[in-house]
Amino acid sequence: MSRYLGLFVAEASEHLEALGKDLVSLEGTPSAETVDSLFRHAHSVKGMSASMGLEPIAQLAHRVEDLVDVARRVPGALGRDRVDLLLATTDTMLALVRGTGEGNAPAPQPELLGKLSEAVVALTGQQPRPTKVARVDPLTPGTAAPISARRFEVRLRILPSAQSPGPRAFLVYKKLTGLGTVTNLRPPLEDLRAGSIPDGRVALVLETDGGLEPVQTALALVPEVELVSAEPMVEAPAGPPAAAPVPAEAARTVRVRTELLDDFLEMAGELLLATARLRDIGRHFPEHGRPVLEEGVDRLHALVKDLHGKVMGARMTPVAVVTDQLPRAARDLARKRGKEVEVMVTGAEIEIDRAILDAIAEPLLHVLRNAVDHGIESSEARVSVGKPPRGRLGISVRRTRERVVIELEDDGRGMDAEKLRASAIARGKLSPEAAARLSTREALLLACLPGVSTATDVDDVSGRGVGMDAVKRSVESLGGALELDSQPGRGTRVTLRLPLTVAVVQLLLVRAGGEVLGLPITKVLGAVEVPDGALQRSPSVNLLTYGVQLVPAHDLARLLELPSGPTPRTRPWVVMESEDGTVALGVEALLGQEEAVLKALSRPLDRVPGLAGVTILGNGRPVFILDVPRLLV
Amino acid sequence: MPKRVLIVDDAVFMRNMIRDIFSSGGYEVVGEAAHGIEAIEKYRTLKPDLTTMDIVMPYKSGIEATREIVRGDPKAVVVICSALGQESLVMEAIEAGAADFIVKPFRAEDVLAVVKKVLGETPKV
Repeated sequence: MSRYLGLFVAEASEHLEALGKDLVSLEGTPSAETVDSLFRHAHSVKGMSASMGLEPIAQLAHRVEDLVDVARRVPGALGRDRVDLLLATTDTMLALVRGTGEGNAPAPQPELLGKLSEAVVALTGQQPRPTKVARVDPLTPGTAAPISARRFEVRLRILPSAQSPGPRAFLVYKKLTGLGTVTNLRPPLEDLRAGSIPDGRVALVLETDGGLEPVQTALALVPEVELVSAEPMVEAPAGPPAAAPVPAEAARTVRVRTELLDDFLEMAGELLLATARLRDIGRHFPEHGRPVLEEGVDRLHALVKDLHGKVMGARMTPVAVVTDQLPRAARDLARKRGKEVEVMVTGAEIEIDRAILDAIAEPLLHVLRNAVDHGIESSEARVSVGKPPRGRLGISVRRTRERVVIELEDDGRGMDAEKLRASAIARGKLSPEAAARLSTREALLLACLPGVSTATDVDDVSGRGVGMDAVKRSVESLGGALELDSQPGRGTRVTLRLPLTVAVVQLLLVRAGGEVLGLPITKVLGAVEVPDGALQRSPSVNLLTYGVQLVPAHDLARLLELPSGPTPRTRPWVVMESEDGTVALGVEALLGQEEAVLKALSRPLDRVPGLAGVTILGNGRPVFILDVPRLLV
Repeated sequence: MPKRVLIVDDAVFMRNMIRDIFSSGGYEVVGEAAHGIEAIEKYRTLKPDLTTMDIVMPYKSGIEATREIVRGDPKAVVVICSALGQESLVMEAIEAGAADFIVKPFRAEDVLAVVKKVLGETPKV
C-alpha cells in the first residue's frame, strides 16, 4: 500500500485543488458543467481514499459529493456560506491527504461532517446516506460504463494465496493487453514480473473499444485474482476556458518526479559540454584523421542538441499550475478584508520551464495580494466613485517569441507616482533632482525599493513577507523583467516578462584581468571599441558615448579587483543593461559567444556578490558568469 | 459431458499423478504426451478442452509446444505445469499463449480450482 501512497497524495491533491478551483468559479458564474466537475472530483477523491483505507478523508469527500449532488437538483443551493463550508472541507481534505504523505493517519472530522450533513438536511429535509465508505463498492457489471467510455481505470488484487504472484500478475496484464491498450501500469511491468507487488494491488488504465464486459469476462477466468474496481475514467477538464475536449493523445501521459527532470536536464547539459570538449580535442588531431572525427562529433552534437531540446520540452509546464491557485487566494484575501473581487485568468495553458514556474509562484502571489489589499477598494468606496462594487483582477499570460509575459491588472485605486517620489526622497533613497528626472513608469518602480511602498499599514495580508523589491529581484534573477503601469483611480498593471527556460544561457566571453569571464548576452546592448582618450572624465565616474547616450564606464578588472595591466590605448567596451540603467564595461578582449549550461554556485561561492553562476567551456575550463547589476551595487 | 484433457510431461510419475487429480475431479484424460513434438501431434488429433504442459522436456520444450499449439488453434487452453523458481519460464509461456499455470507441488484441490476457473466452470460472482 505504501508504494501507492505517493501516487495517491499526488492525484488526490490534484483533484482537491481542482475542486477548490471549481468552487471559486462557481461563486462567480455558476454552471451545470462546474457542478458536474465538482462532483467528479469529490467522487474521485472518495474512491481513492476508500481504496487506501483512509476513511476520514473518504467520509468528507462523500459528504461533499452529497452536498454537490443536491446542488445539481436545487438551483442556487450553493450560496456563499456553503461554498465557504465546501472550501474549508476541501482544505481539510488536502491537509489530511498531505499528512498521509508524511505518515500521519488522517483524524476523523466529526465537526465538518456534521456541518455538511446539516447543509444537506437543510436543503433536502432528509438525512444523507451513512458515511461508512471505506469499503470498495462491489462491481456492478454492465451498468458502470456508458457506451462512449473508452478509458477505464482497473484495479486488481492478486490474492495472497497466489504461489507465483509475478507470473499471475503478468498473466492478467497479458490478458488485458489482448483487449486494448494498457497504460499507467502500477507497479511498473518490471516490478510486476519480479513479483514485487505490494499488497498484491495492481492498477492500470485500459483503453478499449469493447467496454467493460470483456474485461470482466476475461478476469473471471483467471484464478487467484480479484477485480477490485473498473471504472470509466473521467477526463479532467482543461483549465479555463475549458472548452475543447482533451484529445486522446494528450491523456497518454506518465507522471515523472520533477527531480528526475532536473537530473535529465543536468545530464543533457553535461552531454552538450562533453561534446564541445570532444570537438576541442579534435582540433589537435593530425590532419588526416580529423574529417572523420569531426563528422562524428557533428553527428553527436546534433543528437545531443536534439536530446537537450526534448528534455527542455518535457520540462515545460502550463502556467495554470500556478495561476490556478490565484482565484482562490484572491477570494480568501478579499473576504478577509471585506472586499469583493472577481479574478479572470486567460492563457493559463501557455507553458514555461517548471524551474521558472516554481520560482515565480511566490512572487505572483505577492503581486496578487498587493492588488487585493492595496489596489482594490472596498465595495462602498468603489460604488462611491462609480465603479462596480466587485473589483476585477485580470491575470493574462501570453507568449512572445522568446518570452512568456504574465500581466496582473486590477481596476483598483492605482499607485501614485508623486507619493512614491516623495517617499523615496524622504527615505533618502533618491535626491529630489534624480526623482524629478524619473519617468512615471520609473517612479512607479520605486515601490520596489525596500521600504518605499506608500502603503502605511502592516498586516498579514501583504505588509509582511516578500515585498515588491523581492518580487523584482526574483523575476530578474531568472533573467526576466518587471514593469509597473498605473493610473491613480484607475488601476495598476504589473507585468512580468520571463524567459521560457533558464538553464541555457548565451554568453559573451570576455577577458578581463587575464581571466575569461561570461556576460549574459540577454543583458548586452552592444560593444564598441573606443580609444581611451575618448572617455569623458568626471570626478566620480567616467562616461562613454554610446549612440546618443552618455553611459557610466567601469573597468571590469578593477570592479572585480583583478590585477589589471597598463590601460591600452584602445579597448573594447561592452554596453549592458543594469539595475541603474545602462553601463559600459571595459575589457581586454572580446573572445566570442558561447551557449552554456548555467550551473548554480554552491557555498561559499554563492556568497560572492556579482557572480551569477559558473559554466564549463568546451576546453574544460570553468568560467564564472557575472551578475552585472549586483556587481555595481 | 466431462471435459477432455491432454497431459504433457516427460516423467511418467508426474503424468500419473496429474491423471489421478483430473480423474478425481470428473475430467476425462484423453491422452498423454512425453515431449513437445508428441504434444503438438496429439493436440491436433485429439482436440482436447484443456492441455497441461510441462516446461522442460526433451526434443521440444513446453514453451515451444504451447506456441505452436496456440498458433494452430487460438482457442486452445494450455495450462503450464511449473515449479517455484521457474517464474521467468512461466512468463515466457504466457507470452507464447498459455492460458494459465499451476505450480508444483500439486495439490488436487488447487489444480482443480485453477482448471475450473480457466475453463469458465466457476460461477461468476
